[in-house]
Amino acid sequence: MPSTNRLPAPYGLLLDRDNPIAFSFENKRYQGIAGDSIASALAANDRWLLSRSFKYHRPRSILTMAGQDANTLVQLPADPNVLADREPVVTDMEVRGQNYSGSLDRDRDALIERFSKFLPVGFYYKAFFRPRGIWEMWARLIRQKAGLGVVDQSHEPDYFDKQYLFYDVVVVGAGPAGMEAALRAADSGCEVLLLDENPVLGGSLNYARLDVEGQRARNLRTTMIADVEANSRIDVMVDTVCNGWFADNWLPLIRGRRLYKVRARETILCVGSMEQHAVFRNNDLPGIMMSSAAQRLMHLYAVRPGRAAVVLAGNNDAYGVALDLLDAGVDVKRIVDLREDPHYDDIARSVIARNIAVTDGHAVYAALPDPKTGHLGSVDIRKIVSDGVCGGKGEIIECDLLCMAAGYTPTYQLICQAGGQLDYDDDKSSFTLTKLPVSCQIAGSVTGTWSIDSVIAEAGHAGTVAGNATGAVQQHISLEQPENDADNVNLPWPIFPHPDGKEFVDFDEDLQIADILNAVGDGYEHLQLVKRYSTSGMGPSQGRHSALATARLVARATNKTIASTGVSTARPPFVAERLAHSAGRSFYPARRSNMHYRHLEAGAQMLHAGAWYRPAYYGPKESRVDAIRSEVSNVRNNVGLVDVSTLGGIEVRGADAGEFLNRIYTFNFAKQPVGRARYALLTNEAGTVIDDGVACRIHEHHYYVTATTGGVDRVYQSMLKWNAQWRLDVDIANVSSALCGVNIAGPKARRVLEALCPDVDLSAAAFPYMGVREGSVAGLPARLIRVGFVGELGYEIHVPQHFGEALWDALLTAGSEHKIAPFGIEAQRVLRLEKGHIIIGQDTDAMSHPMEVQMGWAVSHKKPFFVGKRTIAELEKKQQKRRLVGFVINDPNAPIPLESHLVLDGEEMVGRVTSCEYSPTLDKPVGLAYAQPSKTESGSKIVIKSTGGTRVPADIVDLPFYDPDNRRQQL
Amino acid sequence: MKVNTTPEAGALAPTHYPRRSQLYRQHVIAGARFEEVAGSVVVAEYIDKTDEAQQAAKLALVDLSTLSRVGFKGAGAPDWLEEQGARLPDSPNRARRQGDGSLIVRLSTDEFLFLCDLTSDSTFTARLWDSWSFQSTKGVYPLPRADSHCWFALTGVHAPTALAKICGIDFHTHRFSKSEVAQTSLARVSAIILRDDLATTPCFLILSDVSSAEYLWDALMDAMLEFQGDAVGMVALRTLTTN
Repeated sequence: MPSTNRLPAPYGLLLDRDNPIAFSFENKRYQGIAGDSIASALAANDRWLLSRSFKYHRPRSILTMAGQDANTLVQLPADPNVLADREPVVTDMEVRGQNYSGSLDRDRDALIERFSKFLPVGFYYKAFFRPRGIWEMWARLIRQKAGLGVVDQSHEPDYFDKQYLFYDVVVVGAGPAGMEAALRAADSGCEVLLLDENPVLGGSLNYARLDVEGQRARNLRTTMIADVEANSRIDVMVDTVCNGWFADNWLPLIRGRRLYKVRARETILCVGSMEQHAVFRNNDLPGIMMSSAAQRLMHLYAVRPGRAAVVLAGNNDAYGVALDLLDAGVDVKRIVDLREDPHYDDIARSVIARNIAVTDGHAVYAALPDPKTGHLGSVDIRKIVSDGVCGGKGEIIECDLLCMAAGYTPTYQLICQAGGQLDYDDDKSSFTLTKLPVSCQIAGSVTGTWSIDSVIAEAGHAGTVAGNATGAVQQHISLEQPENDADNVNLPWPIFPHPDGKEFVDFDEDLQIADILNAVGDGYEHLQLVKRYSTSGMGPSQGRHSALATARLVARATNKTIASTGVSTARPPFVAERLAHSAGRSFYPARRSNMHYRHLEAGAQMLHAGAWYRPAYYGPKESRVDAIRSEVSNVRNNVGLVDVSTLGGIEVRGADAGEFLNRIYTFNFAKQPVGRARYALLTNEAGTVIDDGVACRIHEHHYYVTATTGGVDRVYQSMLKWNAQWRLDVDIANVSSALCGVNIAGPKARRVLEALCPDVDLSAAAFPYMGVREGSVAGLPARLIRVGFVGELGYEIHVPQHFGEALWDALLTAGSEHKIAPFGIEAQRVLRLEKGHIIIGQDTDAMSHPMEVQMGWAVSHKKPFFVGKRTIAELEKKQQKRRLVGFVINDPNAPIPLESHLVLDGEEMVGRVTSCEYSPTLDKPVGLAYAQPSKTESGSKIVIKSTGGTRVPADIVDLPFYDPDNRRQQL
Repeated sequence: MKVNTTPEAGALAPTHYPRRSQLYRQHVIAGARFEEVAGSVVVAEYIDKTDEAQQAAKLALVDLSTLSRVGFKGAGAPDWLEEQGARLPDSPNRARRQGDGSLIVRLSTDEFLFLCDLTSDSTFTARLWDSWSFQSTKGVYPLPRADSHCWFALTGVHAPTALAKICGIDFHTHRFSKSEVAQTSLARVSAIILRDDLATTPCFLILSDVSSAEYLWDALMDAMLEFQGDAVGMVALRTLTTN
């Protein structure tokens, strides 16, 4: 069945008439055509009511057909607040209205309008704060009713991503000005991007009427588009929104599911203007729309916007609309010209020649709804006796369409973001834009230029200027600025108060004239304050239509000029932006050692350590505790293998390497023998412990220093920073990724290695604890360090990264007869805790200095300097407030404390637990905690507030818990 | 990822060699046929893919991580390297091809990266490594670039656009000249990117932290998807080089 309001071809520039589309709105099936927006497809089917207003739940319909208003916000299954006048309709799309109770047509919440007298602007602040505490109740109720669409929380994220683009010149807006600017810029040989938010090029040429015959816009459009498409220097992006302007011409463009991050050397903003509504009673009824919206419906979507129309004229563009309506078979009942003595152009004269009734000096005083449908049924027009004041007796004209042509505001948002200033020109009754930044041009109706010839000239000038600034070829630029020959298109006061109100200034928030005046009456005289108090311009359309009317009302109410009243700020984004666009494709860099898949193959449960994946333990999750205990036991009794590739590794080389380490670390390294490793504790200027590792002297002028997984980048940067000051003869290289490392530990570790290291004497005498050797392991070039982090005979073996898997395989194979097994980070934590070794960042915090954590032995006081030395010396003079101590829990039934559980003295907090694990070796929980200095002697008792508030007594013991004589690691 | 890395009888496999790319499992899954190079293997081609050279001319990614490379830095590096016969790029962030086909990339005034040629026949890199010693070479420090960085080649006419999805630098060939080098962030990891065309085909060599190799490979493959990019082997690169 043909749609009721569908016009024949050639109407419908965007339509593919061979491709019908079925969809539903409010559970009713409709037929659209490919190219239709949701709103146009519904309008074609004579379905006008699309939404309910935010506050009073008034019926709303098409206003702009340009996505500039909140009237067409609808709900899609996965997306709330979709602009129906921009969203293309697709097959089987399920569209619903939003913000109603019951049905869209019969919204029970519309009753609230009857109480509108009791809901003035600012009523939240005035009404709901007494009695004390009552706001909580009101807030719940109000928040339940507030908001428009509904978020589908079960929706799976779609794929969004980003792309950088680079152009010499970016032209935003592909109307006649944009196309001309792009063409002239390209003449200079530069690369140009021309973009438009609409699906086709042409801008207003696609729907506006430039001459009586209606041919000029069509011809100009055809010619200009052909020129643009033939120009290889111009790239075109349609359906693309420029959603902001940032410093140095950084433009975020949104098309589909991609955010384009564009760098332009020059921008030309030909972003056009936005038609403004007149303010009169019931100006929001379905059937009342901008005149340009009616033209868009007809020319872009082949939709007849009504059957009987009244055109409200504030300028001559209204007459072009009237001609279009006549051509489309609409009965134009009247042109109500707001101007007392209009200056007609050829189009206006031709309309009058077609015997269309014109009433000058009149306004629409009120619109009246059809009592059955709620759609526009008639208008009450009255003579304007002075600004905003109408005569007492009106004439009722029946109509179902009212086209408002009351004037325009520039689309100022991007320009203001670029640094342009929005002012008001009293002579033209319009906003103006000044103080444009360098490398940003504007052209077209955004500048207040209206005649097509002037627009083309102005845009050509802007394009040439931008092209010359960036291109290889310099084009001639006329010194004369193009003349703006347009008549005034704005009326100074298209605002007509009505005793019964409902003359809407801001459709988004249902703000009437009285609301703005009341805000001023409440003492808010600056526009920014009025905006926040009244919420004018704070809805989805962000003041696109309310800013000018609000400014006019505030200015008049305060006896100021509009310029001195202030104007609104236009922050990005230009249109509502999905968080998904900002997020784009999620990049979470992941780091894996060369042995990573060997861990997975062995059944490891992996954990994240920063960006690194590390094996936590080997075995199923349900066997976690047993797995960890088994791994600990195997290290203590046989031999274990742990991947330590994530450890930091820094090469310090040069004649001053020893001196450099002496200054960086707390210990003394000057006399460290070649072939020996030494514990390296790092403090900052505040004396705080920030990292640790071992420093291996490979050569007189070469140290290899390890650092913690999470700390190595900071250590490396710190080293570079300090040496930038010290200028020692030393080279510092972060080789963390270049080396893969394992720690093979346990009483049988030597026996495993002996099978693989023919060129290193592994005997205790030749290669003692804290020795360093370079040789080969399984034929792979390796650096071996005898360390005791887990408290057993152990060797860290570092090989080039790409050999990691081969090393792992070789060690497991060689160790099979010694019951070698991999162990994970969890077991390593238990093993080191049994040995009383701290983990920087876990057992230390931002205040921990060496003495507090029992690391005084690692501080050389004899050195003239190291980073933090002076502070540490001062701290040592002061009485300690806490100390890291070891504790055991002897009550087998006590809950094992967790990290950060409090240490109590009575009810006073005196410290906290930093580490606590069940020790398979000691068969009891052991831990480290900060305690008051008086409770640090072995045999002291502390109380820990454990899970559920249970007080757990713990006994202080000397560290380490395991092998206090260090015999095992020195085997 | 559980991969059967047991090779077909007689076929080369990464596990035959101790030096293995972080990505070898992915290559095996994708049906790679390997060839030996520099004591390891690289992907020669993928068995199920046709005309990889054509693919590489459009958009392709190649894992070169097992090829040889080394770095040298230090105040004495420029003089010492020139003494060794190196023809150094005149300024930082430029690359220069050597007589044996290898490339020298100048990363700063006194830091250099040496990349072997695609056949790994060039000997200059290894010779430099052998010539260096702590005792005899003052102010020159080698860097283990062969293991600190993975090495990929991104080839084809769509390469600049694919890179634009994950990097903020304009790599289009009229903007980013041959032998130009960028030290930048690629999909949030640090990378060295240099342009080294294969005859007329744009080619960008990418070196990044080796531990992020899988992550970066996946990010690049994802960025290439919309241009029908795919992984190819060394044979395709050599074909383009000689075309």
